[in-house]
Amino acid sequence: MNLTTVPLLSAITFAPLVGAILVALVPRRRADLVRAIALGATLVSLVLSLYLLVGFLPDRPGFQLLEQTDWIRPFGIQYKVGADGLSVAMVVLTTTLTTISVLASFRPIQERVKEYMISFLLLEVGMLGCFVALDLFLFYVFFELVLVPMYLIIGIWGGANRIYATIKFVIYTLVGSLLMLVAILGTAFAFQAAHGGSWAGAFDYEQLRQFHFDGTLQFFAFASFFLAFAIKVPMFPFHTWLPDAHVEAPTAGSVILAGVLLKLGGYGLIRFAVPLFPDAARAFAPLVIGLSVVAIIYGAVVALVQPDLKKLVAYSSVSHMGFVTLGIFLFQEQALQGAILQMVNHGLITGALFLLVGVIYDRTHDRTIARMGGLAAVMPVYAAAFGFFMLASAGLPGLSGFVGEFLVFVGTFAVNPAVAAVITFVMILAAAYLLWMFQRMFFGELSAFFREHLGKLVDLRPVEALTLVPLGVLVVIFGLFPGLILELVQGTVNDLLGSAVGASVLHPVFWQ
Amino acid sequence: MAWADIVTVSPIVAAVLVAAAILVVDLIWPSRTGPAAGVSLLGLAAVAGVILVNGQTAATAFGGTYSADALTTFLDLLFVAIVALTILFAPDYLGSRDLPLAEFAAGLVFAMTGAMLIAAATDLLVLFLGLELMVIPGYLLAGFAKRDGLSTEGAIKYFLLGSFSSAILLFGLALTWGMTGSTSMAGVAEHLAAIAAGGAPLSAGLAVGLAFMTAGVAFKVAAVPFHFWTPDAYQGSPTPVTGYLSVGPKVGAFALVLRLFVGALGPIKADWFEVIVVLAAITMTLGNLVALTQSNVKRMLAYSSIAHTGYILVGLAAYAAGRTEGLQAILFYGAAYTFMNLGAFAVVGALQRRPGVTSHLDTFAGLGRREPVLGVLMTLFLLSLTGIPPTAGFFAKANIIIVAVQAGGPTAILAVIAVLNAAAAAFYYLRVVVYMFMREPAGETEQPRHGRLAWTGLWITAGLTILLGLFPGPLLDAANIAARVFG
Repeated sequence: MNLTTVPLLSAITFAPLVGAILVALVPRRRADLVRAIALGATLVSLVLSLYLLVGFLPDRPGFQLLEQTDWIRPFGIQYKVGADGLSVAMVVLTTTLTTISVLASFRPIQERVKEYMISFLLLEVGMLGCFVALDLFLFYVFFELVLVPMYLIIGIWGGANRIYATIKFVIYTLVGSLLMLVAILGTAFAFQAAHGGSWAGAFDYEQLRQFHFDGTLQFFAFASFFLAFAIKVPMFPFHTWLPDAHVEAPTAGSVILAGVLLKLGGYGLIRFAVPLFPDAARAFAPLVIGLSVVAIIYGAVVALVQPDLKKLVAYSSVSHMGFVTLGIFLFQEQALQGAILQMVNHGLITGALFLLVGVIYDRTHDRTIARMGGLAAVMPVYAAAFGFFMLASAGLPGLSGFVGEFLVFVGTFAVNPAVAAVITFVMILAAAYLLWMFQRMFFGELSAFFREHLGKLVDLRPVEALTLVPLGVLVVIFGLFPGLILELVQGTVNDLLGSAVGASVLHPVFWQ
Repeated sequence: MAWADIVTVSPIVAAVLVAAAILVVDLIWPSRTGPAAGVSLLGLAAVAGVILVNGQTAATAFGGTYSADALTTFLDLLFVAIVALTILFAPDYLGSRDLPLAEFAAGLVFAMTGAMLIAAATDLLVLFLGLELMVIPGYLLAGFAKRDGLSTEGAIKYFLLGSFSSAILLFGLALTWGMTGSTSMAGVAEHLAAIAAGGAPLSAGLAVGLAFMTAGVAFKVAAVPFHFWTPDAYQGSPTPVTGYLSVGPKVGAFALVLRLFVGALGPIKADWFEVIVVLAAITMTLGNLVALTQSNVKRMLAYSSIAHTGYILVGLAAYAAGRTEGLQAILFYGAAYTFMNLGAFAVVGALQRRPGVTSHLDTFAGLGRREPVLGVLMTLFLLSLTGIPPTAGFFAKANIIIVAVQAGGPTAILAVIAVLNAAAAAFYYLRVVVYMFMREPAGETEQPRHGRLAWTGLWITAGLTILLGLFPGPLLDAANIAARVFG
């Protein structure tokens, strides 16, 4: 299949923008038409991204489907996009989750539907742009573009304490990203100075990859990039915005926040922070590994004591994303594969869990676990779905959540068995907080609170089921055949370990 | 006086003629908005045409005291844009308060004449002449709503501190003239270059002169700790005047900085580098910190304009550290700031269409629901002021930062301070967005109607705010050409 003649990546990225413009032209009272157009636009993006997935050649090294034109010529800034396996995986994850989120917003969002859908579509443009941008300036623009719609989504359609949460989210993210901007400009200048004052290629990712930055610059630049992405992931101790944002965000906002925005952090580390500044990455690795282990344990422990269902899932994200950063900074093949798998799987599973939390919140407008109980008898399908994704999140073998964590674990064991022993305990902790939550919610007698709201406890609606089924199917598929993702991203893994960080590939890939 | 001199200064001649024409039109049709606005806008378009034609050839006039070069052209066009946009935004606000448009427009065009003279000045005396020509109509405009106590108070403060700072600057200029024996910038620069080459420290007279000039200029650009006049003058003035004051005299003052500090004092830039670094750091930080606590949007924008002065000074610091690119960054920032800030003030003015409406944050409550288009435009301007892509404000800031990072050393630290400030600024800019979109309207139901001129101006500023963010290339090229005047 010849994909080189069509600007496929641009089409995927900007299809939602076209949708947003169309939505803006529709009169406010035609809410159904607004919803239809928004869903249509995300579907176009989804279908095109599946076409990308099919046409992508995983065996070919480097970036494919490159598009390149000058943008801001005096500084050599280009519009340059391209995809490798990691980009493709992230793009498909984004289009899938956004389509599902738009669908899941149909019922809960009744106020200002038009503005909501425009924000959501612009959010998708920003996220997709981040995953395909190969010019650092362009990447930064998309990275910041994500911020504004999310700010509005939490701030306008969020819960009671939404304004505090959304401002906190913005300020945290902005501090990190603006320092990253300084680093981007600093590295560009170093590149320019080394090339006789010519700005050509100074923001071009592929050219910067070939360039070796000196130690001091690497140190500061890595620190800035790391801070920006660590806040996004979020790593302990930069995570405090996450529970607030999640609790206040509307359901679909939480899905995207957990499913895609956190992945931007992991993606940024793999794509930019580590390969551009390999020496500094090596120097920082022990610190990052330490923080990751703390995040894994801390997130799990704090999740254990959360009274609010959504906050529990939010803290479990901190723990699960700790595996991602751990896997990246071990510089070891299985661990890195595991980190990438974990990114995809966490997106699917936690996205689904937030949808499920949204279902019960939609019925009772309450998320306090202590008030729940005995739900299995009233909402059996819901209970089954919740149980399925809960077990996936806990890392039940055969479902996708297991594979990523297991690979990171294997990688950790190869590098440092002591650390591996510590994180084994966390796998038990994860099982504990998830199973305990499930037990309190679904088993036993129907709680007094639920008895009051008995009339509202309707089981899963068809649309809700429709949003969950694709995620469930993918969780099973990737649980049984993780090689599907591993093959896709193997090029990225080899590239990172082979050239940049310089770690030798010690182990064969045993999943294939 | 040769005919060639008149041709060289023809933009200024044209501007004076336009101002006179506005007054004549007002005599024929007293207190009518249409003719005054029409003559002003057509006249300004003609002035822009003269500037463009005249800008094709570089020339000097009146014995080398006036220079028509690329920098002059760039700044002149910017001044014309500022005044034209202000006149587009003014009629709604002034009309509902029975304030005359013609005097307002004429005052603006006279002030513009002064600014244009600064931009072209290559002689200390002409520079000062231009400065006074620019600020005196500004004092009048600040007190334009003469029955409003706040306006009068602001005008008096502005006038007193303005005169005071002019005197300080003048004293510095006089000392420089005394010590170098020349009022021509080239002469001063030549003399200073000889001193700098000799490696000798500045004489006491020159050092005092430099200190006075720095303080005077810091007053004019509203740099901390010489900023105290700004919040009162801005809050008290009628909103269209505030919009003008926040950009017109500011860009004019930076034109003065370029001509004086770069053109004349460039050879001793090592001596004023550190002062500028400190001024830039405290100006952005203090401006932002105080803006955080404001609940009146006009006053908040006044403090934020102080912060923006700080960002622009980073460009000057980079120049002093040896990076001539700092100059184009100043010019680009000035232009970007002009459009986004005028746009923001235009929205404030539009909300105050009916007399008695304050510029308190509460006025913005629920704007996104009451007038969605206005809300979205305001959001765009605020995002640009914050520096979020893809807007003009973002690229302007990135441009300043890249130059600062290039300069290295203390200037690179300024870059970090600048971005941390930008993050803090997000808080108070976005608070307005919170009021507009995340709060319910406070009982207000009646929608004021906005005139066609105001909408035209809003769409122009919004369009430029986006365009300069997406495609900054052409303006960047123009700024580069203008900055090359200094070699």
